[in-house]
Amino acid sequence: MTAWTTTSATSRSRRLWESAPASFKVGVAMLIGHILLASVGPFVAPFGSAEIGTGIPLSGMSLAHPMGVDQIGRDVFSRVLYGAHIVIVLSLAGTALGLVIGSLVGLLSAYVGGLFDEIAQRVIEAFVSIPYLVLGLLAVYAAGPGLAGQPALMVIVIAIVYAPRIARMARAAALDIVTRDFVTAARLRGDGAWSIIRRDLAPNAASTLLVEFALRTGYAPALIGAFGFLGFGVQPPTPEWGLMISENRNLILVSPVTVLGPGLTLASLVVAVNLTAEGLARILGRSADFSVR
Amino acid sequence: MIEVQDLTIDYETASGRLRAADAVSFTLAPSEVLGLVGESGSGKSTVALALLGHVAATARLVRGQVLLRGENLLSLPPALLAASRGRRIGFVPQNPAAGLSPHLRVGGQFVELVLQHGVVGSRQEAMTLARDQFALVGLPEPHQLVRRYPHELSGGQQQRVCIAMAVACRPELLVLDEPTTGLDVTTQARIIDLLKDLRSRFDIGMLYVTHDLGVLAQIADRVGVMYAGRLVEIARADRLFSNAGHPYSRGLIASVASVEGTTVRARRLRGMLRRKELPAGCAFFPRCDQSEPSCADRPQALECVSDGHSVACQRWKAILTQSTATVEAETQSVSSRTANPAPLVRLDDVSITYDRRSVWRRLLGCKDRLVVKDLTFSIGEGEIVGLVGESGSGKSTIARALSGLLAPVRGDIRFRGLPLPRLADRSLDLRRDIQYVFQNPDASLNPRERVHTALSRPLLLYFKPDHREADQRTRQILQEVHLEPSYATRFPDQLSGGERQRVALARALVARPAVILCDEILSALDVSVQASIIELLAGLRRETGVAMLFISHDLAVVRHLADQTGVLFRGALVEFGRTEMLFQPPFHPYTEELLLAVPAYRKQARRSRPSASLKTRTPSSHGCVYASRCQHHRGRICDEEVPPWRHTVSGHAIRCHIPLSELENERVIGIDEDGARLAAAIS
Repeated sequence: MTAWTTTSATSRSRRLWESAPASFKVGVAMLIGHILLASVGPFVAPFGSAEIGTGIPLSGMSLAHPMGVDQIGRDVFSRVLYGAHIVIVLSLAGTALGLVIGSLVGLLSAYVGGLFDEIAQRVIEAFVSIPYLVLGLLAVYAAGPGLAGQPALMVIVIAIVYAPRIARMARAAALDIVTRDFVTAARLRGDGAWSIIRRDLAPNAASTLLVEFALRTGYAPALIGAFGFLGFGVQPPTPEWGLMISENRNLILVSPVTVLGPGLTLASLVVAVNLTAEGLARILGRSADFSVR
Repeated sequence: MIEVQDLTIDYETASGRLRAADAVSFTLAPSEVLGLVGESGSGKSTVALALLGHVAATARLVRGQVLLRGENLLSLPPALLAASRGRRIGFVPQNPAAGLSPHLRVGGQFVELVLQHGVVGSRQEAMTLARDQFALVGLPEPHQLVRRYPHELSGGQQQRVCIAMAVACRPELLVLDEPTTGLDVTTQARIIDLLKDLRSRFDIGMLYVTHDLGVLAQIADRVGVMYAGRLVEIARADRLFSNAGHPYSRGLIASVASVEGTTVRARRLRGMLRRKELPAGCAFFPRCDQSEPSCADRPQALECVSDGHSVACQRWKAILTQSTATVEAETQSVSSRTANPAPLVRLDDVSITYDRRSVWRRLLGCKDRLVVKDLTFSIGEGEIVGLVGESGSGKSTIARALSGLLAPVRGDIRFRGLPLPRLADRSLDLRRDIQYVFQNPDASLNPRERVHTALSRPLLLYFKPDHREADQRTRQILQEVHLEPSYATRFPDQLSGGERQRVALARALVARPAVILCDEILSALDVSVQASIIELLAGLRRETGVAMLFISHDLAVVRHLADQTGVLFRGALVEFGRTEMLFQPPFHPYTEELLLAVPAYRKQARRSRPSASLKTRTPSSHGCVYASRCQHHRGRICDEEVPPWRHTVSGHAIRCHIPLSELENERVIGIDEDGARLAAAIS
């Protein structure tokens, strides 16, 4: 134990990494791969994102076109590389914003309770009862035509769609925590609501919320794609993966690889985020110094 | 009859193997009661379960055998083992609520058991047997009781059902795993009486696992002491208590807080069992005061020191020659303080309810069910007031009312002469002055917060110090509660139960309060840890002059700590006054019951009541709260009239219809020698 207090911060994080669950390490490695892909992808892509006539349309997998060529002759692999940063930024940022808003509302609702909780819950239920797409479209419509198709708007739309659902989750997790003695102790002591939420509720609900975050990040690209498909999200020819999947899905039987390429890439991102978040949740479930346990 | 040989069991944990039982060997003769005692983590429950042929899924049997009349239970095929369990070996679990299936009627569970083992042929016979057995274990109205669900029974009754089921097939051996740990003192005493009674009637051998030596003194023939998975001493009970040969056994004995008040400052156990940091030699070496350097690397084996007495310590000769007198140090209790300090907190006719006070209920004419009724007492500056009573007596409710979590329905609570407002209206300063320490330190510390953060939160809130000052103060407060400053970086799950409670105390102390409300803060801790916390509290009071409301169900603990003590029964005070006076006649009948129930190994001759059953009358709403259970019930007046307070010359108050002079004589009927001995021990 005494050794622990004297070791430097670097070796501490090294020990932390070594004792982390294997799934977490795999997830982090995959995530780093994706981020690398997103940052260097456009520079190493063999073709441009909107370049047509790169090959015979729907010609399937080949060495020059590992993910095939779409119906207007664009190289799918290059488009996946170009689109990586869009997906990562939009879905992660949108879900993260939704997580922040949702957790705050949910935790506060559980902590304050009473009438405030009742009202907040009814409002959240109203939001949740509106289907994803309709709610998103309402938000796009409210923002006005000038903003349609802007990435920032997409982030906000995703946050609006996700926040109420995350809020419910956060409230459920916090309801159990607020009854525990350490929260009562903080209340008796005179700590404010914000302090209690920040130091007592949020850290203890973190593992639940992180899993929720990972799951939702996985759905976000599909949601972005759906909006694009309807003409309200990111517009073609933006190489957004969800958009690419929906553009090519009619031709899945003719050339499966043009759909599977972006689809599997998206899936691997989802798996990466999930593994990371789950691993993080497991780490947070224990104390930071594993050697003692 | 049963022979355990070289039993060694490992647990597979995330960080490697943990030896839960290490070469444990002992025998148990027919109808003998063997007690197995040790702190949590000593492996006593693992051994107990092995006697049932059970090895947990995460555990691995390394070697050894458990022979029941020559048959090794650990290698028995599952079918035969299942037939032996319950039939030849009965088991009584620690938590009866968990031992009974919540959605089956208790009679049904009993029937299932006896049919399974073919004790009786038909369901009807089984049901009759159930009623007989329930009557045998002293359950009231067995005819109705068989149709009840477990949650409709009290904890003591649930445990009786478990015992009835365990002895239903007349087993040769009964394994009891801390059967009374979750129960009140009074209930515990009755369960022990019952077990003694059963043993004398049916010649059942028992293995009684507990951490409470006081209990073993009453029931065990022989006692085995376990430490870190090893049996370190085994001896006849009387010999162990009078002449223990292992330093750990001596420490355990010294740690038991007794009502006599002799041993509180004796040489208790220090430190805690850390299974990860055991030396190659004697496992007890890091905590041993009697050790020699060679103890660290020489493993200790049980060695026979006299007939039936074995000790695993190379220094047993030296230790046995030390008389127990060296262990007993100061007889003076901590609670000798100047009388009548200025009142800090005053409660006047306070009544509290958990009912919601809605207009609707008032319209319907619903009366509030009062948890606490017309309570009057005060806590002086720097005074420790103890509140004693069984669960459900409203002790914690009072602390909650003082803390502001509950508002009284009637009455007046004053702090420094001013009315105490609702929590929301309390100033930061007032909140700082009244600090609360919870029963269970696992729940009262934020698991995601390091000790340092937990302590600096109240500091920053109340005193707004800069970083260096806060650091310094945290360090200082950790020292005050006898924890290493390096603990500041730990998370609660890296601390033992006792250490967590120290941190919780430190968190209250760091606010420099005027009064600390201690709500059963010892009940979740091991005996050895309890003793050290009591001493810590006494020391803190001496140094800081903080007042305390000390709530406990344990009279012995209060005896050592409190200046004044109140005895609560069903929300009403029945006795209040200076703590020493509480332990001297005249006793309130309920206090007398409590005192009789305290297991203290010195008084083996505790009078057992004629019947182990509960004598209960229906509680009445008008009269004396205790009337329904009173041994000295005086007829109608007790049921119908609220008894008056009677004051002794020494300023002690007892609420009873029976005049003081008679109360003083009454006890002769109840506890002739015990009472005398108690009085003698105290004076």
